Order: sequence, then structure tokens, then C-alpha cells
Amino acid sequence: MDLHNLNPSSLKSRFTTRFLRALTEINARKPIASSSSPREIFQRYRRIKDAADTSMAYSVRSRRTWSKATLWRLRTPSHRRRLASFGRRSSLNKTRTTTTASHRGAVVVQITSRGGGLGVQLEELRELVPGGEAMDLCNLLDETAHYIKCLTTQVQVMRTIANLYSLE
Amino acid sequence: MASGGNDDVGFKHQSLMNCSSSEMNPLCDKVDGMSMSSSICMYNKPWNSSDPFFGSGWDPIASLSQSESLVGSSVVSHGEFANSHYPLPMENQGIFGTSHFSQYQSNPRFVELVPKLPGFGSGNFSEMVSPMTLPQSSQVANIQGFPSYSLNHDGGIERASTNCTQSREDRQISDGVVGAASNGKCRKRVPESSQNADVERQKDPSGESCDVPKRQDAKKLKTKQESGANSRGKQVAKQVKDGSQTGEGAPKENYIHVRARRGQATNSHSLAERVRREKISERMRFLQELVPGCNKITGKAVMLDEIINYVQSLQRQVEFLSMKLATVNPELNIDLERILSKDILYSRGGSAAVLGIGPAINSSCPFSSGIFPGTIPGIPSTNPQFPPLPPQTVLDNELRNILQMGFDSSPGMDSLGPNGGLKSGL
Repeated sequence: MDLHNLNPSSLKSRFTTRFLRALTEINARKPIASSSSPREIFQRYRRIKDAADTSMAYSVRSRRTWSKATLWRLRTPSHRRRLASFGRRSSLNKTRTTTTASHRGAVVVQITSRGGGLGVQLEELRELVPGGEAMDLCNLLDETAHYIKCLTTQVQVMRTIANLYSLE
Repeated sequence: MASGGNDDVGFKHQSLMNCSSSEMNPLCDKVDGMSMSSSICMYNKPWNSSDPFFGSGWDPIASLSQSESLVGSSVVSHGEFANSHYPLPMENQGIFGTSHFSQYQSNPRFVELVPKLPGFGSGNFSEMVSPMTLPQSSQVANIQGFPSYSLNHDGGIERASTNCTQSREDRQISDGVVGAASNGKCRKRVPESSQNADVERQKDPSGESCDVPKRQDAKKLKTKQESGANSRGKQVAKQVKDGSQTGEGAPKENYIHVRARRGQATNSHSLAERVRREKISERMRFLQELVPGCNKITGKAVMLDEIINYVQSLQRQVEFLSMKLATVNPELNIDLERILSKDILYSRGGSAAVLGIGPAINSSCPFSSGIFPGTIPGIPSTNPQFPPLPPQTVLDNELRNILQMGFDSSPGMDSLGPNGGLKSGL
């Protein structure tokens, strides 16, 4: 982070403003009591995490596949999502993998190694990067680069916020 | 009548209406689908008058054609002017290059086709080319050769390159031009020919019809070199191939020319794969710069491993920080947005981390062990320590130690991060 005047429309500033707004809104909705149950804290944590992801994806404006996938994931309810993703995966990954989505968290993937022995890692990368299931290696690397850049920005901003909060 | 001719033929210019001569009618009937430039039409008038037109009229036509760069295919000779009505249409379309008369005379077939050639202005070349491809392919080579002669008499192309080269103005055939140029080059520089034929990927359909006769040409002329395709030396250039050969500026192209490297296969498949591989390796290099500590790593597999690890760690950090934010509540609920945004944007990571990490470490220690195994139920066990303020009195000693550590190694604090520092602290 540099100390000079930052570009007001840079990724970082866009994310910051959006995230702060969401954060204040979450805090206003349910202020932390000293005796919050872990469940409440967990809910809060989920909300904050979703807010962070959404605000980051919004700042990118669905110019990128991963941001579109993130927004879509956070918007559609899970049952509709499961059906849609099942159809999408089976149609798009015919050549590469055979997936049986039994449970949202436990997807069994049989990898048919395509070429070069990079199959396993490619699949992992695809799972990590949102929306990466349907992309070839070239575009996937592009998306990964942009995703890493946005993640680092996100982490920086959130860390600073957390530090400032805890200072007060 | 001239207006009728206009409608029939589809001329774009109103000045044809001014041509009221009877001789114009056969012209209008003969020439189909042509678009003529206005300045040509203006020259129609003096032609009505007399034969000495030729002497006086050529100069304006010549200068005109040079400025307009029309296709000149002159079928007219002085002697044959009276024979048919073809000559008039030829002249009307800006025929120049009188030196080529003799050539054209010998090819009666060519005379028929010629009227369809000229008339560029803003004309569409593909319309012109398609009638050209209709005749037998054997004729095609000859026919294609001529217009380029007439056109480029000032451009100075000696080779019999195809008529595609003439459209300096017409960008639509630019793809075909480059192809033509390359095939033209092939005739002189024989070893490269097959490479060029293989390498170019023409996506523009308007160039297709131009391509077909050329390809046939190329194949006919050099069947031997096709076998010797494994290339002699050339430099690699992923560039637009020079249209400078044809005297054009950079034509608008929507594909990439790739040259085969020395000693490498020139199969179109392998070339495409090589392009793809180079793109991938370029992106891997970029990723190498993004991911810290990957300078020494060579090899895609290891690099991918590192990338995966890094993305995973970043995602975990986001989760961890959001958990922290969920617990560490700002006491002041004023308009934090304005205050914090500036601070966040302008503050240095190091200084904030130094000061903030003391209590943060304490409050986050409990749930670091909870989060990294990915199980949230770790929290209830550490619940009593959550509110940041009360435990600090108990942990003051630790705080002082931590702050000291922080002040000592302030640049290193950021690098510790929640992952590194806490794990070591545990």
C-alpha cells in the first residue's frame, strides 16, 4: 500500500467502500453483545465473509468469470444452485472429468488425465477458483492471476480494518 | 434513359443522369453491379464527341485512375474502337496503361471478364472476384495477372501477383492481399512457400474466393516444395506479415501470422499448439511474479502446486479475517466509513499491524486452532476469551512481550500474517 493519493476508482478503493458499507450495515443490524452465542458469531462471520466476497465481486463488475460465478453463488439459493451446477458440470466436463455431485460439499471427481500429467492440479485449481470448471487452461490461468490479485487486495483491506477496529 | 440505366445497374452517382448520349445505354446495360466513381462519370461527356478523344482524353483518365487506383484493363486499341461497344465501357471505367493493349487483345475471353473488374471507388471486391473465379482455373492465373500489371505500373510489382494486390483502398480484401503477397513471394522464394500456405489462417470469408484460385496456383507451381516442408531457416515472428511488399499500409487483420522456427515442424496443428503453449507459459510466468517466492521454480507442475497453495492460503486468510471482524466489534458506531476508508487506503500495513497485532493475537489465538482445521465448533471452547477487553488485564505481560517483538521486527510483522505468526505462537 502506498501513501500517495490512491486512485479513487481503483479496485482497492471500490472494494473498501463497499465492504465498509456492508460491515456497518451488519453491525447495525445486530450489534455484538458481550454474550453472543457462538451460533450468532458464526452467523455473523458467514455474513461478513459473504459481504466481503460480494463486494469484491461487485467491484470487478462481472468482467471476469470468477466474479460472475461468485455473485451467482451468493445469490441463488442452494437447491436451485445444485440442480443448475449439476447440469452445467455434466455438460461441460464431458471431455475432462466425470463428476457425480452427491452432496454439495462432497463431489466425487474422477479425473481422466488429459495430457502432461497436470490433471490433478488442474482440477484442484478449478475447484479453488470460482467458476473455473468450464475453462481451458489458458483462460483458467488468466482468471487465477486476476483472482489472486483481488484476493490479496481483499486480505490487505480486511486486515487493516480488523486492526483498526481492534485498536478502538 | 440514363436514369433507367442507373436503376438497372445500380450506379451510385447522379452524374450519370447527365450522360445523355445514346452510347451510354449499352454501357449501362453491359456493366452490371458496378459502382463508378463520380469523377469517372464526368469524363463520359467528352467521349461522345470524337475519336481524337483518345489523344486528349487519356491524360485525364490516367491521372484520374492513378488517384482512384482503379483496375485498368485496357482492351481498347485505337484500331478496334469501332468494332464493338466494349471499348467504351472499358474507357468509362478508367482504363489506363495503354502499354498493355497487346496483351489483352490476345485473350478474347479476358475481354469479357474485364468489364467486371473495374469500378472500385467504394466497390466491393468480392463481387468482382466471384465472376473471376467462375472461369476455368487454368484461365485464372492469366486473368489474375493482368490487372495487377495495370494497377501497379506505378507501384512497381514485377511479379505476377494476383489481382488481390490492387485494392489499396479496399480493406476488405486485405486478407486476401497478404495471402496473395505471400503466394507471390512463394514463386520467387521457393523454400518458404509451403510454410506460408500452411501457416496462414484466413478467417475472412471475403478473402476465401480469392484464396481458392491462389491455392490452386501455388499447389500447381510448387508441388515439390510441399514435400520439403520441414523448414529452412526463418526467424520467428508472431507479427502481421508485411503488406509492405504490396505497398500497402498495415492491413486490418484478425488473425496472427506465425512463422515456423528453424528445425520445427510446420504442420498447422503443431503450430497452433505451439502458439497455445506459448500463451500458457507466458501466463505461468506472470503468475510466478504474483505468487511470492516462486522465482526459482521451474516446471509447470511445481508452479501449479505453489499457485494452489497460495490461493488456498489467501482464501483461508479471508475467512480468518472475517471471523475476526465478526468478533472484534468497533466500540464507536459513528460513521466509520469515512474515517476508516481513508485510513485503510492510506495507512501502511506494517505500522497498523504492529500496533494492532498485540490484542489481535490474543483474541485470535483461541480461534486460530479452531479455524484452520476448518471446524467452527472450536469456538465454544474458547468462548470466554472472546470479548477483547476483559482478558487484556490478564494478558498484559503477554501483550508487552508481543508488542516488543512487534517493535523490534516491524517490517516482518506483516509477513507473519495470521497464519505464520499464530502457528509459531501456538
